[in-house]
Amino acid sequence: MKYIMDGFNWLMAAGPTVMLPVIITVIGLVFGLKITHSFKSGLTLGIGFAGIKLILDFMTTNVGPAAKAMVERTGVHLTALDVGWGSIAAVTWASPIIAILVFAILIVNIILLILKRTNTLDVDIWNYHHMAIVGVMVYFVTKNVLLGVGASLVMALITFKMSDWSQPMVEKFFGIPGVSLPTVSALSSLVIAWPLNWLLDRIPFLRNSKFSIRDAQKYLGFFGDSMIMGLIIGMVIGALAGYNLTAVLQLGVSMAAVLVLIPKMTSLFMEGLMPISEAAQTWSQKRFKGRKLFIGLDAAVVVGNQDVITTALIIIPLTIAMALVLPGNQVLPFADLAVVPFRVAMVVALTNGNLLKNIIIGLVVTASLLWCGSSTAPVLTKLAKSVGIKVGSNSLLISSFAATSMIQSWLVYMAFTWNPIIMVPVLLVAFAAIWYFFDGVKKVNAGAQGDDGAAA
Amino acid sequence: MKRILVACGNGIATSTVVATKIRNYLADKGIQADTNQTRLTEVPGKVEGYDLLVTTGEFSGDRKGVPYVKGMSLLTGIGADKTLQEIADLLSD
Repeated sequence: MKYIMDGFNWLMAAGPTVMLPVIITVIGLVFGLKITHSFKSGLTLGIGFAGIKLILDFMTTNVGPAAKAMVERTGVHLTALDVGWGSIAAVTWASPIIAILVFAILIVNIILLILKRTNTLDVDIWNYHHMAIVGVMVYFVTKNVLLGVGASLVMALITFKMSDWSQPMVEKFFGIPGVSLPTVSALSSLVIAWPLNWLLDRIPFLRNSKFSIRDAQKYLGFFGDSMIMGLIIGMVIGALAGYNLTAVLQLGVSMAAVLVLIPKMTSLFMEGLMPISEAAQTWSQKRFKGRKLFIGLDAAVVVGNQDVITTALIIIPLTIAMALVLPGNQVLPFADLAVVPFRVAMVVALTNGNLLKNIIIGLVVTASLLWCGSSTAPVLTKLAKSVGIKVGSNSLLISSFAATSMIQSWLVYMAFTWNPIIMVPVLLVAFAAIWYFFDGVKKVNAGAQGDDGAAA
Repeated sequence: MKRILVACGNGIATSTVVATKIRNYLADKGIQADTNQTRLTEVPGKVEGYDLLVTTGEFSGDRKGVPYVKGMSLLTGIGADKTLQEIADLLSD
């Protein structure tokens, strides 16, 4: 036992670029990959982490001083830089408990499938990071592995059930049968959207609104282009910081570079994890042969919808405006403006493309992202520093629109860190009631084959 | 050398899966092809000059006349062979 602990501690001390290849190789071997394949997967992830680290250092050394000068000159108190979900995912995969969390999430899915309490088969290992990060943060704060694993288990349970419940509307609105979307970055918005949409439907004017904006993409399209958006935001921050023209232009191009380069680094993670996901898919499809299941896909498959893009292009500039005026907000929106379409995709399906309702609900979701992001930025910053990411001096914090900035993740994180003995049972009872409502009263998945109908 | 643009929501996750599968398939068929990945919202600005556009989900924006194949079957595995065949046919014309 002592040797195992010594080995583990040595691995931790060596840092994520060494730990990631080792841990991912082990995970790959468990899934039955050949040693050469699984080692290459692991090494790819280690390289991805090194890349993300490089870009983050570049970003914080460039924008950090500018953001500080901007705060001092203008009094706009936005000190938590949005470094994007990709950076957060990298921090997640670099956690010492990530291997346990991945298997815990997978086991939750398999047990729910065997018990016929879900129809969603989710072997998209890559997207587990949204569920894992909550466990990683809980473990980081409490130093308690059980609480950390527990938090990810609850995240997984909520995610699989929400993806079941949203499957009928996803199929109807986006026209993709047999697929559900267990992607927390899209599902989480439903925590706000379901009740709010019900409320808005009490108002006939909103319920029947046919409001539409034509050519939104033509006029607002540049908000959907990372390099242009990075350039503009960088230049505005530079100008607000009182920089001279040269420095403003330099900051603009640097920020454009960050927004273009982060996805390139993040895709290495995806590439490395792909063989593992495929092995898991082969295994599980064999195991659940003959049963009709919803195949869990990344919500990326629906964000190309015109209504989703239009809503997102309107929400993006409003997000920046809201960040400036929302009381208590500290998040400086940046890298995750690119993934606003994910945050609104489910809202659009829920309202059946009612643009006015989409904007109202979208803005409430945005406010929640900013507030939850501000509230957990200090912990996230400490966590990032602990895996060797230099956040820069200037007391700059980091945040994003992912991790605990999302309401579902925030609620679970708070329950597990703020008085877990009382709050975890409260959360579970509340979720059980919602479960009963969807499966027992509304019977949303009653038509799905292989389901008992009223499962609760 | 044929050039294929593969697009998805963030230009990272599902487009990596689809691009890898297309590359492997075409390599087996002896068709030389290069893939680039991008976000769906950036397709209209980038797609010009490509031989083929593949998206992982619904896309109804401007394709500038570039041939287009839906790639979702490559994620679910259902009908994947047909889609790959379609891609190979389009590229060998």
